[in-house]
Amino acid sequence: MNNTHITDIAASWFESKNWTAFPFQQKTWKAFLDGKHGLLNAPTGSGKTYALWVPIVLQYLKENPNYKTKHTKGIKAIWITPLRALSIEIQQSAQRFADDLGTGLTVGIRTGDTSQSDRAKQKRQMPDLLITTPESLMLLLASKDYDKTFKSLTAIVVDEWHELLGSKRGVQMELALSRLKTVSPKLRIWGISATIGNLEEAMDVLLGVNRNVTLSGVEGSVLIKSEQKSKIEVRSIIPKKMETFPWRGHLGLHLLEEIVPIIKASKTTIIFTNTRGQCEIWFQKLLEKHPEFAGEIAMHHGSIAKDTRLWVEQAIRNESLLAVVATSSLDLGVDFAPVETVIQIGSPKGVAKFLQRAGRSNHRPGEPSVIYFLPTHALELLEASALKRAVKDEVVEDRIPYLLSFDVLIQYLVTLAVSNGFFPKEIFPEIKSTFCFQGITEEKWNWCLNFITLGSQSLQAYDEYKKVEVTEEGLFKVESKQVAMMHRLSIGTIVSDSMMQVKYVSGGFIGTIEEWFISKMKPGDTFVFAGRTLELVRLRQMQAQVRKSKKRTANVVSFMGGRLPLSSQMSKILREEMQSEADHKRNTPELKALSHIFDRQERESIVPGENEFLIETFKTREGYHSIFYPFEGRFVHEAMSSLLAYRISLLSPITFSLAYNDYGFELLSDQFLDIQTVLDNNLFSAEYLFDDLQKSLNSTELARRKFRDIAVISGMVFQGYPNKVIKTKHLQSNSQLLFDVFRDYEPDNLLYLQAYRETFEHQLEEGRLRLALERINSQKIIWKQCEKATPFSFPIITDRLREKLSSEKLADRIKRMTLQLMK
Amino acid sequence: MLYLCNQTMQKIQINSHNFILHPSGAIYWEAKKMLLIADVHLGKVVHFRKHGSPVPSNAAYKNLEKLTEVTNHFEPETVCFLGDLFHSKLNEEWHDFKKWVEYCKADVILISGNHDIIPKYLYEDLGVKVFDELLLDGFYLTHHPTEIKGTFNFSGHIHPGIRMKGVGRQYLSLPCFYKTESQLILPAFGNFTGKHILTPSEKDAVFAIVEGEVICVSKK
Repeated sequence: MNNTHITDIAASWFESKNWTAFPFQQKTWKAFLDGKHGLLNAPTGSGKTYALWVPIVLQYLKENPNYKTKHTKGIKAIWITPLRALSIEIQQSAQRFADDLGTGLTVGIRTGDTSQSDRAKQKRQMPDLLITTPESLMLLLASKDYDKTFKSLTAIVVDEWHELLGSKRGVQMELALSRLKTVSPKLRIWGISATIGNLEEAMDVLLGVNRNVTLSGVEGSVLIKSEQKSKIEVRSIIPKKMETFPWRGHLGLHLLEEIVPIIKASKTTIIFTNTRGQCEIWFQKLLEKHPEFAGEIAMHHGSIAKDTRLWVEQAIRNESLLAVVATSSLDLGVDFAPVETVIQIGSPKGVAKFLQRAGRSNHRPGEPSVIYFLPTHALELLEASALKRAVKDEVVEDRIPYLLSFDVLIQYLVTLAVSNGFFPKEIFPEIKSTFCFQGITEEKWNWCLNFITLGSQSLQAYDEYKKVEVTEEGLFKVESKQVAMMHRLSIGTIVSDSMMQVKYVSGGFIGTIEEWFISKMKPGDTFVFAGRTLELVRLRQMQAQVRKSKKRTANVVSFMGGRLPLSSQMSKILREEMQSEADHKRNTPELKALSHIFDRQERESIVPGENEFLIETFKTREGYHSIFYPFEGRFVHEAMSSLLAYRISLLSPITFSLAYNDYGFELLSDQFLDIQTVLDNNLFSAEYLFDDLQKSLNSTELARRKFRDIAVISGMVFQGYPNKVIKTKHLQSNSQLLFDVFRDYEPDNLLYLQAYRETFEHQLEEGRLRLALERINSQKIIWKQCEKATPFSFPIITDRLREKLSSEKLADRIKRMTLQLMK
Repeated sequence: MLYLCNQTMQKIQINSHNFILHPSGAIYWEAKKMLLIADVHLGKVVHFRKHGSPVPSNAAYKNLEKLTEVTNHFEPETVCFLGDLFHSKLNEEWHDFKKWVEYCKADVILISGNHDIIPKYLYEDLGVKVFDELLLDGFYLTHHPTEIKGTFNFSGHIHPGIRMKGVGRQYLSLPCFYKTESQLILPAFGNFTGKHILTPSEKDAVFAIVEGEVICVSKK
C-alpha cells in the first residue's frame, strides 16, 4: 500500500462520521507517513488527537497488511501528556479509531494513578499505544531492558509541549527523547503546542540539535499550523460601587453576586481561578450564598480524586452541570466541546493563558468566544483593559527553555544506571545532541560522572560514598537496591511538596493536599476540602483520615504555589494603559470605572505619564516606606529591588525588607532613606549591572530558594517513602541546610552554582532588567513625599511575602529587635 | 582565672554556680571544670554520603576542629556530651573521633541520646564513660529535657532557636541557649544540624548565638 492509498482509509472513516478532515490534519498525516519529525501548532478541541493518532495507525497498517488476522506485538507509540487528568480523553478517541478500523490495536494508560497490578501487566506486555506522563516515562527508563521494550516504537507524541517547554519536565523529555532516538531506530518525534511566541525554538528544543536528520534520509522536519482562528470578546465585570471596592486582595468575592445572573443565564459556565485554594473558596462561597446551586455546580482541580475529576469532565460534556469552578487542570488539553460561558477570576497574568481559557467558550459557531473578567482588586481593572488590547493586537508570550540543567541530567544518569547501566562514551554524544545540553563541555560532563560515583571531584580517604558504581568494563551501574528504590521514588518529585492523601475513616479517597497544611492541625480540627467540610480524625502513614463535619469553618485548604508574574508583553501594554490614563483619555470602561482611584492617586501623588518615573516615600508605624513604580512585572521588580537595595546598602549600613508586585516595588526600612542620595549617586545605572546583581543575590534568599528544587531533583534531598511506614528521618535533611554546607565547603559545586544561574536566567531576567533601567534613565524622575499610603502603593505595602537585604552587623540589628514571645 | 571570658561569651549564675555560655554552643561549668556539649551528630555527613546524598565531605571535619578549639580554650577536666554524639551507625568518622579522644586531655563522658545507637562497649574501649543520665551537685544532666523537682536540668535534643522581630518587617531566626527557671537547653553543636524555633514566655531567658557572639535577647 502506498501513502495515498492508505490515507484514503482514514478519509473514508472521517466520512462515515460525517466529518471532514482539516487541511492541517491531512498535512500532518502525510508528513508523518513520509517519515518526518515535526511540531503541530493547534489549539485544544481542534482535532489534534486525530491529526497524529491516525497516521500512527496507518503506518502500522502499511507495515502489517495482514493486520485484520494477525496482530504484531510490541509498543508502537507513546503519547506524552503533562497532566494525567487528560489521558482518559485521548485513550477514548484513539481506541475508537483503532476499533472502527478493526486493527486490534490496544491503548493503555500509565501514570501515577495506574495500579500496581496494571503496571505489572503492562511490563509483561505493553499496549500498542501507551499514554503517559514525562515522569512515568522516566520510570520506564529506570526499569531493566527498557531498550528491548521500546525497540518497536514508531512514534512519540508530546502533547501540550508548550506547557513542558519552559519547565524542567521539558528537560526530562529532551533527555528521554535523546535515548529513545538510539534505542528505537524507526522513531518519529512529534510535538503538539498551543500558540506561543517562539514556536520555531520550541521545535528545536523538541527535536534537538540534529533536527534535520530524520528517518530514511528524508530532509527536514515540519512545523504545521492549523489555520483555525477564533475571535474573542472580553467583558469586564465592573463593580457597581467602585468606592467600596477593595484596593488589594486576590479572591474577588466582593463581586460574587455579579456572576450569579451570568451563571443562571447560560447552560454551562466554567469559572477559572488561579489557584486551587481560590477554587475551593469560590466553590464554598457560591454554595453558601446560593444553596439553590447545590448539586448543580462542581469543582475541578489537580488535587481532587481522579474519579471526581472524570465525573466533572463528563458532566461538562453532557452539559448536565450549571457551573464548574476550576483551575488550570481544566484549561489544559481536556477535550470537550466549548461551553457557553467562561469567567476568569483575577488576572491571568499572561495573554496566552487567557486566550486558552477564552477559547473554552463558544456560544454559537461563527460567533466570537466570550470571556468575562472579574477583577479581585481595583487596579486589576487596569489589567483587564490591557488584556483586551493584547487580545485585539494578538500579542503572545515566549516560553523560555532551560539550559544546562545539571540537576535533571544527574537524575537522568542515575536513572540509566538503575536500569541497564550505561557507558559514558555512548551516552555523552546523545546528551550533547539535546538543546538543553548542546553547550556542555567535556569537563562539566566529567564533573557529573564524578558527582554520581564519588559524590565529589576527588577521591578522599575513608570515603564511603555510595550511589553509582563503575564495573571493570567501565559500565556505570547502581548495585544497591536501596539506592535504586530511593531513586525511583524521587523521579516523580520534580517540584512538589510532600503530599498527603485525604481519606474517610470508613475508606474512600477524597484527594491529596500538601503536608504543611495538615501539619498545622490537630485531631478534631475542621477544614474545607473538595467542597466538603471535614474533621481531622487522625494522621496515619502519610494519610489524613477524616470524617464529614457539620461545623462551619473558615479553614479552607490552601496550597503553596508560586504567584504568576506579569509577562513582559503584558507589562508593556499595562504601561501604555496607565499612560493613557495620565493623559486623561480614560477611553475604556475599565479606566472610567477606576476614575475615583486615579483622582485620589492624583491628589496624594501623581499618575505617572510616559516619560515619568514615580517614587513615593512616606512613614507609617511599620517604618519608612519607599515605593518605586517601573510597571515592569513582578520578576523585573524582584531583581531591581534587590539591586537597588544592595547599592544603597553600600552607602551606609542599613537593612531593608523588600516587597514587589506587577506595578512596582517597595524598600522598607527602620531608618529614613533620603531618595536624593539615591538619585545623586546614580543608583539606577545599568553599569556594573551583572556584578552588582550577583552580589545582591548573595545577600538575599532568591538563589537559596531555587536550590530547593535542584537539591530534590538531583537526589540530594530524599523526601521519604510515600504511604510507607519506613522511617527515613535519619536521612532527611533540608535543602536550606545543604545550601549552607555547599556555600561553606564546596562553593564551586555545579549544582550550587546552578541555583544562581537559574535565578538570573529564569527569575530575574537580566536582559529585561537592563532595558528597564535604560528606560528609567531616560525618564524624568518624580519623587513625591506623601502623607500616607497612596492607592497605588497599597497592594505593595500590605504584601507579606518579603525578601530582606542588609549591610548591618547582625549583632547591631539584634539590639534593635525584640524577641517574639508567647501570647 | 585561667580561662578567658571575653565579650563574645556570657557568664550566668545558677544556684550560685558559675556557667559560661560559649558561641560554639558549649557551656563551661566553672566549679566542676566541665564542658557541656549537646547534639554534635558526628558521622552525619558520612552517613548521608553512604546513602547516596553527596553532602560535601569537608563539612565532616569541621565538627572535630570545633571540638578541639573549644577544649583548647577552656582546658576542662571533663567533657560531657549531652546525647546525639553520633548521628547513626558506626562509620569512618569514628576513627577521627577516636583520635580526638586520644588527643583530648580531659575525661570524656556521654549521656546517651536517641541517635546514640553505637554499642556502649565501643565507647568504653576508648575510655569514654556512658550514662543514661547524671546527677551532680543538684544539676541533672540528660539528653531529653527532663524536669525533676529540686534539681536544675541541662539537656539538648531540641536544637533550640528563636525568632526576632524588628521595625520595618524585619525577622531573624537564630540558634540559642534556652533557659527556664529549672532547666537550660543547649543549642546543637554540630554544623550539619537544623534548629527548632521555640516561642519563649516572659519568664524565660534566651541567649542567641549571633556571628560568633552570645547575646542575651530576653528581658531576663
